[in-house]
Amino acid sequence: MTSSQYLCSAPPPRGKRRALVCLTHGCSTSPQVDPKRGCKVDVVFSTERYNQEEGEQRLGKCSAHVFFKNQKPRPAVNVTCTRLIEKKKREEEDQLLYKRMKQLKVPLDAASIPDSRGHIDASLRPIWDLAFLGASYVMWEKTSQSLHYYLVQLSSVKQWKTNDDAIDFDYTVLLHEFPTQEIIPCRIHLVWYPGKPLKVKYNCQGLQTSEEASGTVESGTVESGTVEGSAVAPTELSNI
Amino acid sequence: MQGLLVFTVLLGVAFGNEDFVGHQVLRISAADEAQVQKVKELEDLEHLKLDFWRGPTNPGSPIDVRVPFSSVQAVKVFLESLGIRYKIMIEDVQSLLDEEKEQMLSSKPRTWVRSTDAFNYATYHTLEEIHDFVDLLVSENPQLVSKIQIGNTYEGRPIYVLKFSTGGNNRPAIWIDTGIHSREWVTQASGVWFAKKITEDYGQDPAFTAILDSMDIFLEIVTNPDGFAFTHSKNRLWRKTRSLTAGSSCVGVDPNRNWDAGFGKAGASSNPCSDTYHGKFANSEVEVKSIVDFVQSHGNIKAFISIHSYSQLLLYPYGYKSEDAPDKEELDQLAKSAVTALASLYGTKYQYGSIIKTIYEASGSTVDWTYSQGIKYSYTFELRDTGRYGFLLPASQIIPTAKETWLALLTIMEHTLNHPY
Repeated sequence: MTSSQYLCSAPPPRGKRRALVCLTHGCSTSPQVDPKRGCKVDVVFSTERYNQEEGEQRLGKCSAHVFFKNQKPRPAVNVTCTRLIEKKKREEEDQLLYKRMKQLKVPLDAASIPDSRGHIDASLRPIWDLAFLGASYVMWEKTSQSLHYYLVQLSSVKQWKTNDDAIDFDYTVLLHEFPTQEIIPCRIHLVWYPGKPLKVKYNCQGLQTSEEASGTVESGTVESGTVEGSAVAPTELSNI
Repeated sequence: MQGLLVFTVLLGVAFGNEDFVGHQVLRISAADEAQVQKVKELEDLEHLKLDFWRGPTNPGSPIDVRVPFSSVQAVKVFLESLGIRYKIMIEDVQSLLDEEKEQMLSSKPRTWVRSTDAFNYATYHTLEEIHDFVDLLVSENPQLVSKIQIGNTYEGRPIYVLKFSTGGNNRPAIWIDTGIHSREWVTQASGVWFAKKITEDYGQDPAFTAILDSMDIFLEIVTNPDGFAFTHSKNRLWRKTRSLTAGSSCVGVDPNRNWDAGFGKAGASSNPCSDTYHGKFANSEVEVKSIVDFVQSHGNIKAFISIHSYSQLLLYPYGYKSEDAPDKEELDQLAKSAVTALASLYGTKYQYGSIIKTIYEASGSTVDWTYSQGIKYSYTFELRDTGRYGFLLPASQIIPTAKETWLALLTIMEHTLNHPY
């Protein structure tokens, strides 16, 4: 296993939105493999806010114990973190974010964020952040010992509803899968109300087979799932 | 490219208000003189209304013909019954025309620049703009820079390599390529910057001048032109070549799995629809074969650097097997120095190591082959970033990425100069 994995190590973007944290530096033990039971890894990592402000240094510290059990599809993960943002502050910021989102006018033909040149319009930033949040749940579910993911792009917005009190967001993203190098389209439907667990439903497209395929979306395999504020994934928006 | 050809060819006809719905363009391969004759017979059948773009001449030369919808069936049956091989180059001429028209109306006009000093290095460019840049650079630096065509792509685009040389005869050389995977846009953009940098620093920077006084540099900026054009016109995330695979509706071969080193072994896919499809055989891709031929006929390349994105890694062989390369110690040490130099500029952190241990198992990769040819300093870069933007790296990061990467390249080039073998 590599000794460190950097996510968000490129210079942080300027932005006021802060909804996510991401991995900055991590170390892990060599996996201890027990052929009878499975594979265990201990990981230590630090986190920073997804939309870190200029000069902000705040880092959360986390440690996790990951156990890939034989015959079990998903690993058991035990994470503890310290120095994350205080709960009260998180709640305040969630409310702010929520208010801003309710006022947002999302153009339904808002395709391709970021665009081909990596540009995200400042006004569309909150949508991207929320899309990223939902996608991170999907990537969490799909990641395994052999496959991992990065979010490439929000490729289309199907629906953005804020009439009831929740934000109801239906969209598709493209995930980049390692080591296969495939680009995986995923349809995601998330519902968020600050203070309540995030609800995420998703549906990802698999690879076409080598036989004659019509080239339509239906011809690949489909993998779906629902994630609802599980014990594994933190439930508060700003804690992710 | 094809579309442009279609548009130009049909421009005249378009005035006649004709439409080309369902018209197909076939490329016919006549295997012998008899087959060529048969195709000539087809030409004579006026009622078929065939439009030969490349007429039948001799066996081995492709014959391109536009076939109106009403004649498609008949022509195909004719060819198949005589065992004459053909492939469909354009499935529907009208849709291609519509796309091209839309593109020309909607996309930015080609930026015309009069000098490489006025060129905007901090933005992503089209294939045509890069070609214009290359020609400008050569005309501004005729003593130092020349343009070589090493082949043509699957779709018929020229494959250009820039040669930087201060003289001599077949001097030991450094090879750098960018853009072998078309969606990795920061790499072609960096290649453009490197080309300019070379012309600026020669004669100005003593260390670099010493390198170019003894060695030549070959730089292939757009190593996968068909793929690159496709990322601009249809699919920004296209990785592979654009070759058609018989028996599959999927297009393209991963050019970094198509080299003759562990070809077809674990670490590549045999599924034509996969983004790591290795192709039917090693060097099946003309984009790869052209480089292979060049390297072998040159015979004096001493360092070979293939540039990709993203992940921030500096990698050396092997990708297809886990045993250490014989020169592992030296390659590892040099990689360490190179990433240290890179980090000195903006603090960008790179990891380094063999391909298989650092990123993943990959068979048929470029530098495994170049290493097997005796090119000791064979490296693959994966540039910025580590996943936040990935392929869609903001243009504002092009120049910083190119600058820091250049420091790593200098380290490798200097070491190559000082350690002849």
